[in-house]
This record gives sequence, C-alpha cells and structure tokens, in this order.
Amino acid sequence: MRGDHHNDENLAFERLVRPHFDRLYRLAWRLAGRKAEAEDLFQELLIKAYGKLDELVKIDEPASWLSRVMYNLFVDERRRFARRRLQTVEEGQMPGDGLAGLPGVEDPLLDRERWEKICALDAALSQLSDEHRIVVLLHDTEGYKLEEIHEIMGVPVGTIKSRLHRARARLREILTRNGTFS
Amino acid sequence: MQTEDTDKQDQEIQALLKDYPMPQATATFYDRALARATHEGTRRQRKRWVMAGFASAVAAGLAFWLIGGFFLATPILPDADPGIPGITMTLEEPRTVNLMFASATALDAAMLTVTLPDGIELAGFPGQREITWQTSLSKGKNLLPLELIAVSPGGGEVLARLEHKDRDRTFRLRIDVS
Repeated sequence: MRGDHHNDENLAFERLVRPHFDRLYRLAWRLAGRKAEAEDLFQELLIKAYGKLDELVKIDEPASWLSRVMYNLFVDERRRFARRRLQTVEEGQMPGDGLAGLPGVEDPLLDRERWEKICALDAALSQLSDEHRIVVLLHDTEGYKLEEIHEIMGVPVGTIKSRLHRARARLREILTRNGTFS
Repeated sequence: MQTEDTDKQDQEIQALLKDYPMPQATATFYDRALARATHEGTRRQRKRWVMAGFASAVAAGLAFWLIGGFFLATPILPDADPGIPGITMTLEEPRTVNLMFASATALDAAMLTVTLPDGIELAGFPGQREITWQTSLSKGKNLLPLELIAVSPGGGEVLARLEHKDRDRTFRLRIDVS
C-alpha cells in the first residue's frame, strides 16, 4: 500500500513538473552559466519541489513557482559556492570561459565575424554582476517579461528596468572599449 | 550622431543576446533528474535535514583547521602520518571543515579531489563520493571550507588530494559519527 502511495505521488509530481522542464533547464543555465552547476541547480529544484508536493498541487502556475524557487536556490548556493571554492576555473562554459562545444561554433549560418562578436559578448557578460547578467539574459535572451522577472527575483519592476538599462550600458561600454564596436 | 551610434550598438547587442547560445539537456537527463528527485526527496522528507542543515551549519560554525604544507618547490614526500587529525560529527548535523593549503608559488590548473567515506556528504553534492575541482592556488595560504554532513552512522576518512603536474599531496581527516 505504501508503495502504491509513493507511485501515485511520483506520478502526480511528474505530471506537474515535466511540462516545464525545458523552461526550467534554460533558466538554470542562464542563472548558473555552466553545465555542472546548472544541472545541480535543476536537480536541487526537483528535490525541493518534491518535498513540497502538497503545496505544489494547489498552485495555479507551477512554472512561476518553480522558477522562483530555483532562483532562491541559486542565490543560496551562490553564497555557499563563493565560500567553498578556492578559485574556480573548472568545467568551462561559464560566461567568459569561451563557448567551445556550444551550438553555433560549427554553424555555417553564423558567419565568423558574428560568432566572434558573440564570444566577445560572452566575455563581457562575465564582467557583469549576477544581478545585471541575469536580468539581461532573462529579458533580452530568453524573452521574459519584466513582470515575470519580478516574480522570479522578487525585486520591484522599476529596479529590474534600472538593472536592465545599466547592464546594456555596461555591455556597450565593454564591447566598445575592447574594439568589438568601432 | 553619438545617440545614433549608441542606438545602433544597443540594437546590435540585443540581436547578439538573442543568439547567445546554450546547450540542450541530454536525452536522459530529465528522466534521471526526476528519478533522483523522487528517491532523494522521499529520503530527505523522512529525515528532514535539509532546512535544519542550512540553519545549523551557520549556527554551529565549527571550523576545524587542517593545515598542510603544499610546497611544490620541494620534492614530494610520501604522506607523513603523524596521527591523522579527526573530528566527531553528529548525524545529520552539518559541520564546516576548513582545509588550508599553503603553496610556495601561485599555481594554475591544480586538481583538487575530495573523496568521502560512505555516509558523509558534501553539502550541495548529495550522494557523491568523489568531487573534483580544477582550481588555482595563490602564493601563500589558500582556504577551502567544506561543509560536511553525516547522513548515516559509521564515519571514515575524508581525503583531500591536491595534484599539480606530476606532484601531489593528500590530506586525511578522520570522521567519527556519534
């Protein structure tokens, strides 16, 4: 009987979360910026969400709830991560670590000049604070609305607008200074 | 003119951001993550240590200093064992152990591997027995805090192995679980 109960719970959980996996995986990547950390974050979210299944079944928009929980996990983990590691240069694929292996490198539709600009953008993103990098990636890359970012990050829309403006200005400044934009 | 240039650059940045790539999840990742979540979630629910762990880790704040010399300028010696330092942990109560590596020179691309005995986990890496980082060391003292959690009785030895090129050094910490 207990086994049946757990199977029912597992099925209910899967029905609630699986439709949002792609969106959440992308969010994890945009937050963490590298594969290992993004997948850990995704995994931790599912474990936490499973523990709150009773709460999750009553939520009208699980995607928003899950996104917010993931962001909070990221912030918590980032604080601990900063304390734990000496200096991390592992795994690659952190913004600024280069984009080797990601889609686009061999894409014949992307001309060389454009790809070099994307690499320069990648390096420039690594110079932004987490708050600015996340806002600009969620808004300009992933297409989240300001209100959705507000729901995830829990900061006022006005603050998000301000961060977005500053992040774009900072990217422009970096890309101009390094010669990407003449 | 300045404004026109700025507007054009902003548009180009936004166009580049739209193309900023990321990989897809591998075919089996979602299934594995789901299976682990239901398994691990059940276990955590039962033991209810997650939130308590975070809070008590901060509260406990016990730092154990394991100081080891990592002088690459000198020949590598077999691991001396003048008595392995040890600590006693309480089941499911996180505890922070600070490892200190002193290096004679700055090192790039050193590999640090932490190997855990059964029943001891590193916070943030549930279920993993071996965790490896590639890291850089500054000249002088480098601190690595490890937040450990005993999830079952028994204990054992935590090994922290630092490798650089053909040289290495292993630090041991004995853990008893009460």
